Amino acid sequence: MNTRPVSQFRLRFGFLLIAIVLSFYGARLVQLQAVDPANYAGKAHLEGEEKVVLPASRGEIEDRNGVALAASMDGLMVIADPYLTSPKAPALAKLLADRLGIDYFTTLAKLRKTTGDGSRYQILAHRIPATKVRDALAYAKDQGFVGLSTERDPIRAYPLKDVGANIVGFIGQDDKVGPLAGMERTFSQQLAGTDGMARYQAVKGKQIPLADASITEPRDGKPLRLTIDSDAQAFTQWTLAQAVRNWKAASGVAIVMDSHTGELLAYADYPTFDANDPQATSKDYYGSKGVQEPYEPGSVEKVLTLSSVMDSGHATPETRLTLPDVLVRDNWPIHDHGRQGTVKLTLAGVLSRSSNIGTTLSAETMDSADIRDYLTKFGLGQSTNVGLRGESPGIVPAAPWTDITRATIAYGQGITVTPLQMIAAVNTIANGGVRVSPSLIEGSATTNTGAKVGTSEATATRVVSADTASKMARMMETVLDPEEGTAPLARIPGYRVAGKTGTAQVNENGRYLDNLNENSFVGFAPADNPRFTVYVVLRHVNGGAGGLTAGPAFKRIMSYMLRKYGIPPTDTTATPYETTWGGSGTGNLHP
Amino acid sequence: MSTPQLSRVRVTRIAEEAVERARLRVVPRTRVRAPKVPFVMLVSAILLAGVVGLLLFNTTMQQNSFAAADLQTHADELRSEQQALQAEIDGLNEPHHVAEEATRLGMLMPVCPRFLYTATNKVTQACDEPATKLPIDAPAQARPESLIPERTVVKVKPKQTTKQADTPKAGATETTRVGSHGVSSTN
Repeated sequence: MNTRPVSQFRLRFGFLLIAIVLSFYGARLVQLQAVDPANYAGKAHLEGEEKVVLPASRGEIEDRNGVALAASMDGLMVIADPYLTSPKAPALAKLLADRLGIDYFTTLAKLRKTTGDGSRYQILAHRIPATKVRDALAYAKDQGFVGLSTERDPIRAYPLKDVGANIVGFIGQDDKVGPLAGMERTFSQQLAGTDGMARYQAVKGKQIPLADASITEPRDGKPLRLTIDSDAQAFTQWTLAQAVRNWKAASGVAIVMDSHTGELLAYADYPTFDANDPQATSKDYYGSKGVQEPYEPGSVEKVLTLSSVMDSGHATPETRLTLPDVLVRDNWPIHDHGRQGTVKLTLAGVLSRSSNIGTTLSAETMDSADIRDYLTKFGLGQSTNVGLRGESPGIVPAAPWTDITRATIAYGQGITVTPLQMIAAVNTIANGGVRVSPSLIEGSATTNTGAKVGTSEATATRVVSADTASKMARMMETVLDPEEGTAPLARIPGYRVAGKTGTAQVNENGRYLDNLNENSFVGFAPADNPRFTVYVVLRHVNGGAGGLTAGPAFKRIMSYMLRKYGIPPTDTTATPYETTWGGSGTGNLHP
Repeated sequence: MSTPQLSRVRVTRIAEEAVERARLRVVPRTRVRAPKVPFVMLVSAILLAGVVGLLLFNTTMQQNSFAAADLQTHADELRSEQQALQAEIDGLNEPHHVAEEATRLGMLMPVCPRFLYTATNKVTQACDEPATKLPIDAPAQARPESLIPERTVVKVKPKQTTKQADTPKAGATETTRVGSHGVSSTN
């Protein structure tokens, strides 16, 4: 047998080589297991890990009956890979244009964009309902088209379009910017919720069972329920729009308030916009003019002034006044609209005929600081904190006032208010002398700045006595009297209605303009057991008067509310005060 | 040196024979060899069953995972479908739509409310205005600047040589473009 001797050198060299190689393996093993095992384990874990965002559902904004004013829907964006879509671009563009309602030529250009940035990623459409997209893409796949994909792109829909749009606002196209207007923006944190996250090991998108997985559940946004009645809101908006158009006003506001709770059942601004397509309208109309743009209220203010005078014991509805043709204060003449010569009116007559001179004389029985205190208690000069953006507090000049300032404030010039402040103030009379703060949100909600608003936060403050409120309500009924009042067009046959007209000159750059008025009418019904208070304001009307322009709109809106909520007439007879007086003397109004 | 041997005297006792029979003795150890094959087969069977069971369990889990993913996708689709149907219902319930349908059917809105008391057959006072159509034809909304097309305004210079001042001079036109809110707007 032939045996070949093994070279000792070769054997040792071989073993050494093997030992060196094995030592590298050993060193690597030590590195992996001892030096930084967690890092390598993590990298290995990430290889097959899927991260899926679990989207939080944005809270709905709904009306008092649960009708959605803003709702979220599953939506998708459609993405094309032009590298794959360009060969059949015309046919695919036609299919997508037909099925998704997108522009054919824009889509065709994107499907053919095989050069430059985005040559592998072209967004064809944003925020299309998921069902529509899935159907379209399934059909496209059946037809042999390739290169289309989708990504999540939730839709915020406003089913009632322009109804309540000025309150609700809208979310813009850019998610990074966030909601752009209205309550969508004010209560964004509450509505948005927090997205969750699922992490798991997956193969081809399917989870590997028993592998590591973690889920952070999403926290859905809280819904926001408004006090608005969407049907009443729609009717109020239509009626207001018609009034603004008929009288060629620049804008208008109409508000319906529950007389006892202060809840706003309708809050209409005009011009308005479609929340689904806000870009079709100027952004000047996105906000709530009812709280953002203070104005001089005019004669509606007389309700507050005369209530203060009566409540402080300086006069009664029967107090007799002798009104001159002209009253001069601080060298400024004060006139009554449409009246010449001296006239003898009671305090009730001063209100029903809307006498500036009578109101001035009555207000002069009080110290200006006392009148200001009353106006502040009525809620003027301070925000209502109702939850609308950019609310203005208005301006009530600091006391003491000059004689002319006291006079003009008494009849509603030289002071600025918002329609919301004014309806809450006059509603104090409807509510037996107790002012309830207005509410637009049921329950309690927190704004992004941390303020709590809503019916749970509403306050009730007695401003005038129940007796004073009752007397003022009776006085306000006369305002709608065809013979004695300034607003017969606001009457609702069969019902007792209390109201007051307002016709104020527009102040522009410190000068009052001729023939450009702020016309308004505020009232409540039934007068002896109020259920609703309605305020209609038409801004910058060329002439006219509150009873003529805003009165009919008030009548329609109030009638609608009484019918919808089934409020029958009270079957009582009004007992109006005397508005004039005869005999000798100058009356019994004493400072 | 020898140790004296103690002689043991055998004493006859009572029932000696019985005692002798009852005395315990060490029995020889008997070794029983259990058969190894059944044990090995049992262990193998258990192992096999465990492995097969684990395999089946994993397979089932995997299948369930796929089924769960498919069901989730289906649920998402159904949710989207439900949302689309709800949107359709919302569209039909939308006040404008209802009002338009009512108007199309010739329905009118009474201006004032009236009540009929069924107990007394009494009807409340009639309205002083006739019923009207719903005021749903709101005027067009104000458009933003970006949607208002620019206008081309051509200013025509009058002829200087004739008395007819409103006759344009050939070639004496000046073209400017302004927005519709400009002072030269024709809008």
